[in-house]
Amino acid sequence: MDRTVKKVGCLTCHEKDMNRRDFLRVGSLGVLGMSLSQFLHVKSALASVGGVNEKAKAQACILIWLEGGASQVDTWDPKPNSNFKAISTNVPGIQVSELLPRMAGQMDKISIVRSMQTEEDNHAGASYYALTGHRPSPAMRFPSFGSIITKELGPRNNVPPHVLAPQWERERQYERYFGSAFIGPENDPMVVPDPSREDFHIDDLRLPKGLSLERVERRQAFMDIWDRFHREKMEVAEYSNMDSFRAQALNMIMTPDVREAFDLTKEPDATRDLYGRGPVGQSVLLARRLVEAGSRFVTAAGFPFNSWDTHSDNDAKHRDEQVPALDRALSALLIDLDRRGLLESTVVIAMGEFGRTPHINAKLGRDHWPDCWSLVVGGGGIAGGRVVGASDERGAYVAESQTSMGDVYATIYKALGIDWEKTYMTPIGRPIKVATSIGGETGVPLKELI
Amino acid sequence: MGVAALWVVVFLIPPVLSSHADPAEPENQLLSVRVIPEEVDLWGAGAAQRIVVLGQFADGMRRDVSDQAEITVSNPECVRLGESRRIIALTDGEVVLTATVAGRSASAQVRVQGSRQQRPFSFQRDIGSIFTKNGCNTTDCHGGVKGKGGFKLSLNAVLPKDDYHWIIEGGTFQVLTDEVEGERVPRISLEEPEKSLLLQKPTFEVAHGGGERFKVGSDDYRTILDWIRAGAPYGEESGDSVKIEGLELFPREAVLGLDGKYQLLVTAVLSNGRREDATDQALYTSNNKDVAKVSQGGMVEAVKTGETAVMVRAAGHAASATFGVIADPIADYPEIPRHNFIDEHVFAKLEKFNIVPSEPCGDEQFLRRACLDVAGMLPPPERVRQFFADPDPNKRAKLIEVLLGSPEYVEYWTFRFADIYRVAYYSVFSAKGTHAYWQWLRENIQSNKPYDQIAREKLACQGPRGATGHYHIDRPPEDMMSEEVRVLLGRRFDCAQCHNHPYEAWSQNQFWGLTAFFGRLTEIGQYSKGIIVDLPGGHRDRGMGGPILHPRNNQEVQPTFLDGRILPDEKRRDPRMELADWMVSHPYFAEATVNRMWGYFFGRGIVDPVDDFRSTNPPTHPELLAELAADFVEHGYDLKHLIRRIVSSRTYQLSGVPNETNRDDQINYSHALARRLDAEVLLDAISEVTGVPEVFNHESGGGIAPPGTRAVNLIETDTYPSRFLDIHGRPDRLNVPERDGKANILQAMHMLVGSTFHDKLGGEGGRLDRLIKSEAPDAEIIEELCLAALTRQPTADERSALLAMLAAQPDRPQALEDVLWGLISSREFTYNH
Repeated sequence: MDRTVKKVGCLTCHEKDMNRRDFLRVGSLGVLGMSLSQFLHVKSALASVGGVNEKAKAQACILIWLEGGASQVDTWDPKPNSNFKAISTNVPGIQVSELLPRMAGQMDKISIVRSMQTEEDNHAGASYYALTGHRPSPAMRFPSFGSIITKELGPRNNVPPHVLAPQWERERQYERYFGSAFIGPENDPMVVPDPSREDFHIDDLRLPKGLSLERVERRQAFMDIWDRFHREKMEVAEYSNMDSFRAQALNMIMTPDVREAFDLTKEPDATRDLYGRGPVGQSVLLARRLVEAGSRFVTAAGFPFNSWDTHSDNDAKHRDEQVPALDRALSALLIDLDRRGLLESTVVIAMGEFGRTPHINAKLGRDHWPDCWSLVVGGGGIAGGRVVGASDERGAYVAESQTSMGDVYATIYKALGIDWEKTYMTPIGRPIKVATSIGGETGVPLKELI
Repeated sequence: MGVAALWVVVFLIPPVLSSHADPAEPENQLLSVRVIPEEVDLWGAGAAQRIVVLGQFADGMRRDVSDQAEITVSNPECVRLGESRRIIALTDGEVVLTATVAGRSASAQVRVQGSRQQRPFSFQRDIGSIFTKNGCNTTDCHGGVKGKGGFKLSLNAVLPKDDYHWIIEGGTFQVLTDEVEGERVPRISLEEPEKSLLLQKPTFEVAHGGGERFKVGSDDYRTILDWIRAGAPYGEESGDSVKIEGLELFPREAVLGLDGKYQLLVTAVLSNGRREDATDQALYTSNNKDVAKVSQGGMVEAVKTGETAVMVRAAGHAASATFGVIADPIADYPEIPRHNFIDEHVFAKLEKFNIVPSEPCGDEQFLRRACLDVAGMLPPPERVRQFFADPDPNKRAKLIEVLLGSPEYVEYWTFRFADIYRVAYYSVFSAKGTHAYWQWLRENIQSNKPYDQIAREKLACQGPRGATGHYHIDRPPEDMMSEEVRVLLGRRFDCAQCHNHPYEAWSQNQFWGLTAFFGRLTEIGQYSKGIIVDLPGGHRDRGMGGPILHPRNNQEVQPTFLDGRILPDEKRRDPRMELADWMVSHPYFAEATVNRMWGYFFGRGIVDPVDDFRSTNPPTHPELLAELAADFVEHGYDLKHLIRRIVSSRTYQLSGVPNETNRDDQINYSHALARRLDAEVLLDAISEVTGVPEVFNHESGGGIAPPGTRAVNLIETDTYPSRFLDIHGRPDRLNVPERDGKANILQAMHMLVGSTFHDKLGGEGGRLDRLIKSEAPDAEIIEELCLAALTRQPTADERSALLAMLAAQPDRPQALEDVLWGLISSREFTYNH
């Protein structure tokens, strides 16, 4: 197999995608004056793309992002140096912090990894690391595991395959850590506003006032006249990309599916209350709706910026603000997915960028701690009710089964039927793994879970 | 046979070339032949040289006619003819070699000396070359970062001592440390040479992931076997007769017909000035096998039309040759006028490659293109009319001067450099520092400060504000160094951080040697009060006394220039200043700078990606690049001068409409390529054409940006966020940005129903609104809009089609808005072409 540097000077190679786009191009005049039947034709063409391993149970993944880093000893890995007690759960042998009463009844559906070890201790670097498995580098940008999943599985049902809700209110560069880097802008997350707001809506998904479908068609006819001159002289591959995106976009705008998927008012109040009416709960609820409609990877990032970053008053903030919102939203999600028969096909993971110090500081807070922390993962064929790894008596260092981000990715990829040993070739000709562990090793699926 | 009798050796092989290249064919007569090389110096016992016979044909092509040649030598006792047209030394003397094809002859002078002397053995040359030629030490196999199967060789045998060690002593290489892993099993056996792994593996006598590389009993096998039998010595390394300074290829650039073949000749230039044939010791790879392939022996064969580089690796060096494959050579290739040296180089290559450049572009294309490329904006309709009406034959040159002197030039190039100099938003605490950095940059562009000075300041700056804005103390020194190297020298060093660079000969030592220049960089104070300085204590994350430690062996690394010189102690107070001085006078600097600037005007660098110079990514026009760099330096690194050179060339002013011969050319500048407008430029263009300025809202409720703020004026991405800019690929500049100019679904959605497009069309006080209120007729409105957006008059067809459609619409203002929508969504508008 010849893997020597090929296509030198070629920035990216999207050959596979090119074919898909050509296939989508309808007629030589692009998307103009399409009748409804033509819309439906395009719609069905888009409907069943991707899918990798039919035997894989999981079809989608939901990430609940704990912005700022949760304290492990006060949540999933209770220890004596937490000021909170440990409580039993519905799985014998597993205990969680008393701050998670609802989750205590759902531990059969999800598992805990207590031996996470990562390498960055500042928010930006650690967030980037947790999402990509790499430390930030000025030389290149790495794709997030969510964008990799999006790329590998491909879109379903015309619904945006990769979504991030809600957008960051400040420090919006963090959103880019979820991005697709060089694997294609179609795998970037669509970033949407806070779903808990009254005025929540998605931009550009609906015809504005004064713009009818007829008018849209007329506009494209005018555009065609302007383009004719140019098109005859120079046809560029790029042009056909925009044509096919316009077809897709029109499709999304004209058919109600996508708008409805984003419309939380279609959920009964009882359900909305179950998740919690704040940004956390409603983002998680939105994630469920989107996955149900066909999205592949949705991040519910409702926790405000750095809200878990309890450098001061750790206990009060965890007890009163952070953990209850997580407890409510995650347990609601698991119950809801289960009830709808979606738990088998949906991977759920809740994590932040690191843990917190085992000791309390002078301001009654806990600081950043990447050396040993916890996350929870389950669903989609990943076993629930298990514990992977262990920390020492203070939750400070890994005692058993050190786990890297790459191992977590590999576990999720395996559930989704994605080859976790795969590599992508970057534009500069350097191969990168889709699941990278500490030391550049390839991640290994956690055998306790899958 | 008498001693002095001529021994004629005749090689008569029926012509294998197709009739098209048949020298006997009257339409394509063979005019003359040449022997390459014309002078041969064979030194040492058994020295050999491959010969190629080139024919010059009536159709203008030069073809390799070696296999149709009869070759004779005047003294067969001095040299003999071996396989594949190799002449091999026998005894000292001088000989004339004559080649004849279809009645045409040429000769070469051959001199043999030292035929009794064996060249001293050299592991690197004699054994290392076997590894190179057979592909053992490529990146895919043992030359890769980790080696393969536990056996590591250096890429292209650049580190023969290391290779020798792994072979003689055994053990497994570890990437990140000098320590050897595992048992030490030597790869050779002095007691039983034939059982050496080094022989058994490549001959597939034992399982070998690489398969069979050479056969038992072959020349390579025997060379290694003899070497082991002789006790596996290391031999000489740097003696005059063995050390190779570089490789020369013949041809460096050539064109083949569709059925053409061409034998590459590789000459190793020794440190003692002698030249030796290395054709049989080289590893050949074609970068694009769809265009031309190359055999193990260096025979290049055409596959289909196009262009490719053929990489040649031998003896620790690499070189490349460019091959083009063309269909029929063009009879009566037209005379193309040249404006300056850029045209000389570009058109010479185009002619050689059988490509005719397109016509020069019309005034309307030039006006639009130049305004966008030099000043980032579209010309207003009055200017467009003025320019078209102007009879002055020098109006284009005058326009260039006007654009270079415009305030928009300053705004646009500040924005362009802000990208690669990374004027970025880090946090609310460092916003002021970012502003000061941007201000410094803008002043430089405004005053047209010589670029070497700008680069120097960026690299070596100290102090609280200004040029220091891109130094952030959270960043490790190796990241800061890689960035400067990438942005200023156009090389991507970072692979060499943890291991020797997998493709290039850059070593990890060089990487850390350069990093050490940043070892003292630190910050006193924090965020908005931070002061960047170099102190002995160094980077605070490295602890007190902060030396840079080499990660493999934890030894302190001294600041070392790329050529191995260590920075003397007395110059260590300002290490970054020393580095800056060295960097801007290094040849890499000028060529990387002109290459990047070139890329802004053509959509592609002469080396592309523009900051990825490496031996496996050769320039498409090496002489052009060199002359551009020299011209830039000669004129004091003046950016405006460089821009003027580029924009005044005929090459830049070619039309975007391709012709039959150049339709497939994307890399030789035969016609202008269509380039998508950058996000900021596009947004500003939409605002300008619709006459509705964009309002930028402060991200945390601090009001709006001052009126008149254009997208290119935005200092960084976060203070005044913009959805339009984000979905159109604006980078955050937290890494060295590579703008993603590709279309995506969000752009499409926005274009169809989004606010930028919808709200600006009929906006109050906007262009359309004013035109309607002035009661201008449809035809005039269409003309005005077209001039504003496309920098031209509408064609008669466009006029009639649009007027007809307009007449049929009940709601005139709405319909006109839709016309305008069509305009700003069109390809012609959103692309620079």
